[in-house]
Amino acid sequence: MNLAEGVQIVSFGILAVMMIGTALGVVLLPNIVYSAFLLGGVFISIAGMYLLLNADFVAAAQVLIYIGAVNVLILFAIMLVNKREDFAPLRNAWVRPVFTGLVSVGLFALLGTMVLVTPWALSTQVSAGDSAIFLIGQHFFTDFLLPFELASILLLMAMVGAIILARREFLPDQVMSPTKQQPILTLPERPRELVSVSSDKSSNLDDGRRG
Amino acid sequence: MDFANLAAQLNAGTILPEGIVIITLLVVLVGDLIVGRSASRWLPYVAIAGLLSAIAALYLQWDNTNPVSFFGAFNSDDLSVIFRGIIALSATVTILMSIRYIEQSGTAMAEFMTILLTATLGGMFLSGASELVMIFISLETLSISSYLLTGYTKRDPRSNEAALKYLLIGAASTAVFLYGVSLLYGLSGGETQLSAIAVGLNSANAGQSLALVISLVFVIAGIAFKISAAPFHQWTPDVYEGAPTPVIAFLSVGSKAAGFALAIRLMTTAFPLLTDEWHFVFTALAVLSMILGNVVALAQTTMKRMLAYSSIAQAGFIMIGLIAGTDAGYASMVFYLLVYLFMNLGGFSCVILFSLRTGTDQISEYSGLYQKDPLLTLCLSICLLSLGGIPPLAGFFGKIYLFWAGWQAGLYGLVLLGLVTTVVSIYYYIRVVRMMVVKEPQEVSDAVRNYPEVRWDLPGMRPLQVGLVLSLVATSLAGILSNPLFTLANNSITNTSTLQPAVVSSVGTQVDVNQTQPLID
Repeated sequence: MNLAEGVQIVSFGILAVMMIGTALGVVLLPNIVYSAFLLGGVFISIAGMYLLLNADFVAAAQVLIYIGAVNVLILFAIMLVNKREDFAPLRNAWVRPVFTGLVSVGLFALLGTMVLVTPWALSTQVSAGDSAIFLIGQHFFTDFLLPFELASILLLMAMVGAIILARREFLPDQVMSPTKQQPILTLPERPRELVSVSSDKSSNLDDGRRG
Repeated sequence: MDFANLAAQLNAGTILPEGIVIITLLVVLVGDLIVGRSASRWLPYVAIAGLLSAIAALYLQWDNTNPVSFFGAFNSDDLSVIFRGIIALSATVTILMSIRYIEQSGTAMAEFMTILLTATLGGMFLSGASELVMIFISLETLSISSYLLTGYTKRDPRSNEAALKYLLIGAASTAVFLYGVSLLYGLSGGETQLSAIAVGLNSANAGQSLALVISLVFVIAGIAFKISAAPFHQWTPDVYEGAPTPVIAFLSVGSKAAGFALAIRLMTTAFPLLTDEWHFVFTALAVLSMILGNVVALAQTTMKRMLAYSSIAQAGFIMIGLIAGTDAGYASMVFYLLVYLFMNLGGFSCVILFSLRTGTDQISEYSGLYQKDPLLTLCLSICLLSLGGIPPLAGFFGKIYLFWAGWQAGLYGLVLLGLVTTVVSIYYYIRVVRMMVVKEPQEVSDAVRNYPEVRWDLPGMRPLQVGLVLSLVATSLAGILSNPLFTLANNSITNTSTLQPAVVSSVGTQVDVNQTQPLID
């Protein structure tokens, strides 16, 4: 084992421990702000993994997009809607974490077994390295042209939708609905609570909701 | 590779219908920006005109001799043409019924049209996508626009709850789907095109590996969410209750058709090695959907929730055609979806009309409607009876064809279960019809007693009436004059080369097709 391989193995170990540790922190910590910051740690360690795999463009994109945009956005969202609310403690509250843990451990065991028993066909190609950015560009404008262009429509529509949802509505005394049958920006159907008067009917509704 | 050469290889003419939809979308968006609020009078008609010309362009694409375009990212064979037609047509009828609804709820018209057209675009691209990246992007275009449309009436807590629930469950199912797709990419040796994946899996001898089975199950989980098959249906009732009604009309037909198109293409092209396994998984989904959808629908008291469970059950029926795996099976799926489009959208038009006039969608409030609004009663009765499969309406012939194809393929248990659950479904459809035609004056509900005068000259009512009458005529005549639709569905399957030589070419390369061969005959 020469020096380069040793450095690689050590840095892989450090990145792996960092990734698993921060990911567990995201899920397990009760304070959502800590979770959001640790999520940034997960993204950074993934970017490190990309560097180890000789994919430096992807690593840079990972840092720019996921940490620079997505994670900061998540933090902003948390800061803006940080409304403290005291919820009544649930009965049998321990059941949910235990059940979730069981499912997660089961899924991990299944996927771990799958990774170990599958005879993966390892590629013998030399990684693109510095020319990766040219190759990515070439693919975007040849065989991935259609998804690349469709993504622009997707982003346009997401922007329109975000503006629609976030826009503060100007409500001029119900000018929009001349019939005044319903308050603005709501469904025309009355909520069910107003309709169901008798007790047997409401129990029926609950049955329907549970199913 | 120079530019002219590249342009010839792209074969971009195949996405002309989608191009028309994109241009319409931009015209609607920019037209609203320039003209302002008053544009909402003509914008819906621009959208309808655009969708209709997209359908006309699709008609010209029929029997395209060179369907593969964009280096294999998109396949415009007849299967995709018919599914794209179904999606565009469902969007057209949805716009017809949404104009009055949007106007009355005071939401912005142009943005609704834009997002609905984007959802249509995503569905149309999804029906033809034959490459993993393309499938994922178009699936996301469809899904994200559906989430936005669900939360469109944003001051209504039910709408918010529905949108959030749909977004969270949808994001989880997308993640699962992506995990399965990435496994597929790895197992096939780095291929993203569906046909190349099948070859890669075959040469890597990955036929029976655990990883391939896991990827199959994960991919099916993503598809089943889209077609709202049980047990991936939990979002359906809440979204149907909370979303604006035109949106769920589109989700129940357009989005579901796109999901089935994806299912057919992905399963037959990428998983020929696991035919038995995916048939088995879909059989389980179909059994659960038919039983759960039909039984729980019995207990519902609001129309929208009842139609939600009914749509889960209908997805179960349509899956019989997929499991049959024969030409007749796929053709029966297409035929049923065509018929389902008219009867379901007709039903939703009636529900919208009733809730716009009375402000409720409780089933009990429909009682006595016959005396006040005979047209609405007639249309809703015809559509519901057709959904239940009463002869001689269109739904009866659709179901018969599905069950016949399933029986031919040897799915006796599934077809018998389908017949039994159809009888159950007739009960809850007929219950509504019976409620509407009661004669006794004391049984007439308050909503019907205070029923407003029937006026079609209010803004946006005329298109709703057109959509209503159109689906009524189609539902009642498509059964008796079903031959053109029937031929269309059959041709779309027999002209699709990916479905045809899949049987012929794979006989040489693998053995397990031979086991299914006797079932086909």
